[in-house]
Amino acid sequence: MVQSKTQKYLFLAFCLVPTLIVFAIFTVYPLVNGLYLSFFEWSGMGGDKMFIGLENYKRLLSDPIIPKTIWHDYFLVVTKVIGIMILATYFAVALTQLRIKEAPFYRIVFFFPNIMSVVIIGILWQFIYNPGIGIINAGLEAVGLESWTRPWLGNLDWALPSLVLPSVWAGIGLFMLLLMGGIMNVPKSLYEAADIDGASEWQQFWKVTVPLVWPQIKTSILYIVITTLNGSFIIVQVMTRGGPSNSTEVMGSYLYQQAFRQYHFGYGAAIGVMILILSLATVLFLQFLLKREKVNY
Amino acid sequence: MKVGRFLVKTGIRIPLIIWAIVVIYPIVWMFLGAFKSNGEIFASPWALPHSFSIDNFISAWTDFNIGSSFLNSILVTVLGTLLCLCFSLPTSYAIERLRFRGSQVLFNTFLSAMMIPMVLGWIPLFFLLLDLHMIDNLFALSLIYAVTQIPFTIFILTSFMGTVPKDLEESAAIDGMTPYGILFKIVTPLVLTGIITASIMNAVMFWNEYFMALIFLQTEAKNTLGVTMDLMNREAQYTNAWGALFAGLSIAVIPIVLIYAFFQRHIVKGMTEGALKG
Repeated sequence: MVQSKTQKYLFLAFCLVPTLIVFAIFTVYPLVNGLYLSFFEWSGMGGDKMFIGLENYKRLLSDPIIPKTIWHDYFLVVTKVIGIMILATYFAVALTQLRIKEAPFYRIVFFFPNIMSVVIIGILWQFIYNPGIGIINAGLEAVGLESWTRPWLGNLDWALPSLVLPSVWAGIGLFMLLLMGGIMNVPKSLYEAADIDGASEWQQFWKVTVPLVWPQIKTSILYIVITTLNGSFIIVQVMTRGGPSNSTEVMGSYLYQQAFRQYHFGYGAAIGVMILILSLATVLFLQFLLKREKVNY
Repeated sequence: MKVGRFLVKTGIRIPLIIWAIVVIYPIVWMFLGAFKSNGEIFASPWALPHSFSIDNFISAWTDFNIGSSFLNSILVTVLGTLLCLCFSLPTSYAIERLRFRGSQVLFNTFLSAMMIPMVLGWIPLFFLLLDLHMIDNLFALSLIYAVTQIPFTIFILTSFMGTVPKDLEESAAIDGMTPYGILFKIVTPLVLTGIITASIMNAVMFWNEYFMALIFLQTEAKNTLGVTMDLMNREAQYTNAWGALFAGLSIAVIPIVLIYAFFQRHIVKGMTEGALKG
């Protein structure tokens, strides 16, 4: 190697410094400053920042909408995890274990919504739920269940559950592929051995497939939880704007409301800190809960 | 026995077929709606359009800002993807191959940034852009997009660089090649698959992005597709331009369909690996 130490450090600086600068300015600084802002009252623009200590956090605890937004977020987390994991596991097992000729077709189709814009998904599902021309009400009428039809997204009780299906629709393909990758790595000989021992296919699924695919299952659950807590407000914003009367408001959409619509930037930052803490705590808790001894046969 | 097997297989297929219809139906409905008049959409939502005229597309493109938004989206997507690559490629090389003190710490810092919700950061970022007079600026938005995807891109690129044999770099160094030459002429071509994988994923993300554009852009002329489609959807209650709305959605989704058709493998690999980091 014919290069001096200076040249080596210059090259290292060339590789790292520009990235570190933009990362510090556009990722680290905003997060730290967001934390700082949560101790102030501030209406933005020309107004002065006023230090109010923990007032924003006290307000957080007494704001009647906050518990609702937390509950709505975790409702979406739980229903999405259950819905996506059941369907994705079923599809993954069906497409890997049974030799189906058209399996690639299903793989390609099921994955496509994963790369569609949430805005488009939200708008399309608004039409599916549309009381006049939507397929859900039309389908219910067709099978004689007129009494079940309702303006889904305009109904206080049904608006939030109605957001689950579009989210499952949009997410399933990725997790199906993750699980398929895991299942295809399970050695065939294990199933043959289980067959000889007389294990039913159902037993084989629980005793062979699930333990060996556990890393992928765990990853999928964690990923659904993280993306929901950090991003559920996007589909809420597009489909319901948090309404009717806050019945679909989640933490992120409430932050947007408070900060960018009502100009309570300090309070908005406090909501942001809450989102950060809750999502980190949830991930740590789940990592502990889903821990399993690594299985080797 | 054979009949039983056949029945089981058919039974298992039914959910697959149903879900395939559930996925395809809204997308086909959107494309068909793009050719219908407003009356047709409400009178016969299921029927095929009477004629395949492209009036809705023209109207969406010119009257509803889809045209300008399409070009804005192209700008932020291309610029954001390129910027992200310019930042991430040298950094990935340094982390994976130069092994300086703290390289592992740096890598872990980037990794943990992938899990942190950025909503909190959007408030200070908004005021930072305001102070720099970069609100409503597509170049600033591209730069922010690029920075948000740096951790993911570094994650993908380092894993590809780990597979490049070290001897190649060593012999090039002995031949007197500078480290810059090694990085750009030897390593870069060898991790091209990784570069494509990460860049396609980034491009899809930027093309679909909505919330940051909503906050950091202010005027109709600057809006990207996500914001414009959302606005069209809100206004359609008053303008009744449903056909144009579907045409707008179709215009926005066609590039994604094309990218998916050409780069399916890369997209799938990029997304599954991005998720597997856990």
